[in-house]
Amino acid sequence: MTQNIRKVAVLGAGTMGSGIAVVAARAGHEVRLYDLTDDKVARGLDIVHAFFAKSAKLGKLSPEAADAAIARIVGTTDLGDLAPVEVAIEAVFEDLAVKKDLLPRLEEVIAPDALIHTNTSTLSVTSIASTVKRPERVVGTHYCNPAALMKLVEVADGRHTAPSARDRTLTFLKDMGQVVVVTKDRPGFILNRFLIPWENSCIRALEAGLATVESIDAAVPAALGHPMGPFKLLDIVGMDVHHQVASRLYEQLRDPRFAPPPLVERMIAAGDLGRKTGRGFYTYDDNRLFGS
Amino acid sequence: MSNFNKVAVLGFGKMGGGIAQVVAQSGREVIVLDLNDAAIEAGRQRVSDFLNDGIRRGKIDGARRDEVLARITGTTDVAGLAGVELVIEAAAEVREIKRDLFARVAAIVGDEAVITTNTSAISVSDLATSVPRPERFAGLHFFNPAQLMKLVEVVGALQSDPTVIRDLVAFGEDIGKIAVVVKDRPGFLINSLLMPYLNDVVQELDDGLASAEDIDTAIKLGLGYKQGPLELLDLIGLDVHAHATHAAYEATFDSRFAPPPLLQAMVHAGTIGNKSGRGFRAGKDA
Repeated sequence: MTQNIRKVAVLGAGTMGSGIAVVAARAGHEVRLYDLTDDKVARGLDIVHAFFAKSAKLGKLSPEAADAAIARIVGTTDLGDLAPVEVAIEAVFEDLAVKKDLLPRLEEVIAPDALIHTNTSTLSVTSIASTVKRPERVVGTHYCNPAALMKLVEVADGRHTAPSARDRTLTFLKDMGQVVVVTKDRPGFILNRFLIPWENSCIRALEAGLATVESIDAAVPAALGHPMGPFKLLDIVGMDVHHQVASRLYEQLRDPRFAPPPLVERMIAAGDLGRKTGRGFYTYDDNRLFGS
Repeated sequence: MSNFNKVAVLGFGKMGGGIAQVVAQSGREVIVLDLNDAAIEAGRQRVSDFLNDGIRRGKIDGARRDEVLARITGTTDVAGLAGVELVIEAAAEVREIKRDLFARVAAIVGDEAVITTNTSAISVSDLATSVPRPERFAGLHFFNPAQLMKLVEVVGALQSDPTVIRDLVAFGEDIGKIAVVVKDRPGFLINSLLMPYLNDVVQELDDGLASAEDIDTAIKLGLGYKQGPLELLDLIGLDVHAHATHAAYEATFDSRFAPPPLLQAMVHAGTIGNKSGRGFRAGKDA
């Protein structure tokens, strides 16, 4: 439980935004969860409620604490309601234009010294901060999915971020019980910087016939202590998401290790996106290996 | 289907001893070849120490230790290998030493024996040409420590008979491993994936992406890996990794395998990981 109870805004009530709202409310902060429409806000609040209900059921929180945390999160579609917050965490759609459009409007309503956190995974913190008047208070804070469970946050300064804003950000995150790593405003930060080439090289090994889907997924956890093989993970992530992240990093880095291998596009063309379509590297209706 | 009931291991070092132990634990007779009695004695002692540690941790009892040790015999004479059905070579990682050894062993064990190499850096198809029947030759790549690591890569040489590969997969599974068939390429499967990743991390560390500790923390917490890349390098030994990735680079001219300058500098400086007390993480206060 944090010592300083703050007013926190989370912008974007999707999976990430709702998860971040859970983290903040669980730590005792008063959270305003913003999105464009009532429907989106309601869906976000549903995710929050479901999470806290499950936490209470699993005994992670007392029912009272869960109810109190839920009560600390208020939904809104009015940016003006965010005026009193000390920290505004942006977790809207991963699109530079959308973020660049939102932040100046946010900046108009919040206090001049309020922190603006951007939860981007593949975009430049500096670019996202380029449309605000005071970029020195914009800090990149990349939470991991599912945010309500994952402790890690990657923190990156933009070119104009003030050291004091970064330090306040680190304190805020640590007070919420997150584990913070400090990195640079470079494409992919640490995690995606290393994960995307790794997954791509596994896909290329498969394309090259070095081994099969099944054997690579058996070998990697056995030899390297990964929690699951690369293809099981890709099926969870989704081939469309992998393609998008890889392409975005490739566009910035021009390094072929990040470019999505042809098999990714073939699978997307075939509609084999992974678990969510029932078929990716594996099929999920009968659990039998598909392809390879 | 061959069960390979009598197995020879060439080399009683850490790897050879570990392989001998795993094979002996499966109930098979193992004969281990090394150059002199001192090497064999040291090898037996390492296996004995490993088993004694298992007793201390309550994994096995003394009877089991004695039974496993009793199935492992040492020899300094290649002629002592007559009659084995499977040979697993775990000698020094030097092409000429291995080729010479294979030629001498092949002459003793006969045409029906399967001969395998535990190399991690030399082409299996190349080594296969050192025996009269290359179709009965393959790679059997264990991971260190062989007693604990569950994976074994069964590497098909270009010359390998598919039935030999099948028999080796069955053997690998029978000794309790996960056996996967892979191609004879530099690094086979796991190291061909691992080495570029580790090199990439070292370069980014040198380029100031984040601290060594933060990179390890991010990878462990964010991806759920048991070890971060830099503590893994400290464990492997920077010298060992540098040697392996350099060999893969020479075999492919693929820049992803090229040892990064920081890695080379640390090898020169002798800060090669846990065994030297200093490395990327070792010797530094966390």
